[in-house]
Amino acid sequence: MIQLNGLSKRYGERLAVDDLSFTVRPGLVTGFLGPNGAGKTTTMRMILGLDLPTSGTVTINGRGPHDLPHPLRVVGSMLDSQAVHPQRTAYKHLLYLAQTNRLPISRVEEVLDLVGLTDAAGRKAGGFSLGMSQRLGLAAALLGDPPVLLLDEPVNGLDPEGVLWIRTLVRELAAEGRTVLLSSHLMSEMALTADRLVIIGKGRLITEAEIGEFTGAGAPVLVRTPEAGSFARRLELSGARVRAGSGDELLVTGMSAPDVGRLAAAEGVTLHELTLRPASLEEAFMELTRDAVEYGGAR
Amino acid sequence: MIEAGVLRAEWTKFSSIRATMVLSLAIVVVSGLFGWLFGNASAGDYATATAQERLDFQPLDMGMRGLFVVQLLVSALGVLVATSEYGSGTMRASVAAVGRRGHLMAAKAGMTVLTALPVSVAGVWLMYTAGQTVLAANGAPYVMPGEPGALVLLLLGPVVFTLLALFGLALGFLLRGTASAVNVSTAFLLIPVLASSAPGGLREFMHTYWPNTAAFQAVSGTSELPPVVAFGVLLGFVAVLLVAAFVQFKNRDA
Repeated sequence: MIQLNGLSKRYGERLAVDDLSFTVRPGLVTGFLGPNGAGKTTTMRMILGLDLPTSGTVTINGRGPHDLPHPLRVVGSMLDSQAVHPQRTAYKHLLYLAQTNRLPISRVEEVLDLVGLTDAAGRKAGGFSLGMSQRLGLAAALLGDPPVLLLDEPVNGLDPEGVLWIRTLVRELAAEGRTVLLSSHLMSEMALTADRLVIIGKGRLITEAEIGEFTGAGAPVLVRTPEAGSFARRLELSGARVRAGSGDELLVTGMSAPDVGRLAAAEGVTLHELTLRPASLEEAFMELTRDAVEYGGAR
Repeated sequence: MIEAGVLRAEWTKFSSIRATMVLSLAIVVVSGLFGWLFGNASAGDYATATAQERLDFQPLDMGMRGLFVVQLLVSALGVLVATSEYGSGTMRASVAAVGRRGHLMAAKAGMTVLTALPVSVAGVWLMYTAGQTVLAANGAPYVMPGEPGALVLLLLGPVVFTLLALFGLALGFLLRGTASAVNVSTAFLLIPVLASSAPGGLREFMHTYWPNTAAFQAVSGTSELPPVVAFGVLLGFVAVLLVAAFVQFKNRDA
């Protein structure tokens, strides 16, 4: 569990993170979303104790980031997977991290195996592809078998196979009861990976909720019927809002699909189609962050 | 204060990159080379010297003139212990892994001492051996290791070097870049040499009180200050810089 309480970070005049409070719960994948420059990475650095908050507090499983005697055993992180000394081998990179937390050396081989880098263990990290660096970064995050994981843009630059691998791994880690906070600016990826979303813009919390609430709630129902005109009036009388689509289509909002179906049955109206048209997460996100985009193009 | 695991991790880092290992070796090799070169040059000077010059001949100082160059390399070794992490971006991973920044810095200071001290012992002793051997072989006066002056130099010279490595470490933490820290360190350590052309009063002051020359003069027995004071100047200076580096490291974003 990660708890943020009124967290702020000021760089000179600019407030990068502004009074941010939210809780990341265990057993779920929490997606941390925001446009570029929204303050996601700064927030993650503060959770890890790398950047010092201007005000506010962070606790990880009840303790401050500077109160952890062996941090890797509590919180694993991948912020910048390219931050490895180019001359150091993957094995030595993980070895030194393991030594700082007195983890058994055997753990290094275990995580190398887990991320599929066993054969590259003796190679210098400078020659790694982006995909291999991401795998090494993930190995470092998992080294201490931590109950809390912080991953900043873990699928950036990965091929489809790698994306699928990370998605599956992250879901498994959460299913084991771990707290997983995953940042991304790719909404489509979040729709497939996350259970909950925390969305920030310009350093402020915009919203946090279960992922279904972003796409399901208030989604329009598409109805196709030869009696479009009369059924539309009947729906409006029952309190729904109706927009006429092309031909025999009606877009109904304010009423659930089952209720639309029941009404049609009660009225004896023939339906050719009855489908839920959820807004994509992308659309929901754009809608929410419209006012909070730091560097937007002309609209 | 120094945790064994964090210290072991520092050794893994130190020994798994080229620059630190090559520099350590270079310090020893260059020391031996300078001992031999200055020994040879001094023996040549002695051969053509007048009787009065021969009386003033200081075989120990002559053979150890290379120390002024080697000190720059030893300080750079300390710089690298800090800046190799800033350069590659692993400082964040290290800070996140260790958590308490004081522990990380203490381990880095420990690693600096544990590497700079043996390297300095090897370098200073090799320079002494090479320099005095060449002097003796060319019929010039030389100093045996048991003589008080030589003994002080052999025992305390490496300690001065190790303090200069800690000076480099502090600069590495303060400036967070190899190039800038090495430049500042080199300029600072060479200022007394450049000051040789300064007006008398300033020159005297620099030679007596500038941290590295003060300590070197104490070690070679030429200081006007009591050895403890001369040594204390360097020790105090390095301690202040380390404290400043720690305060900054603890309170700045990693």
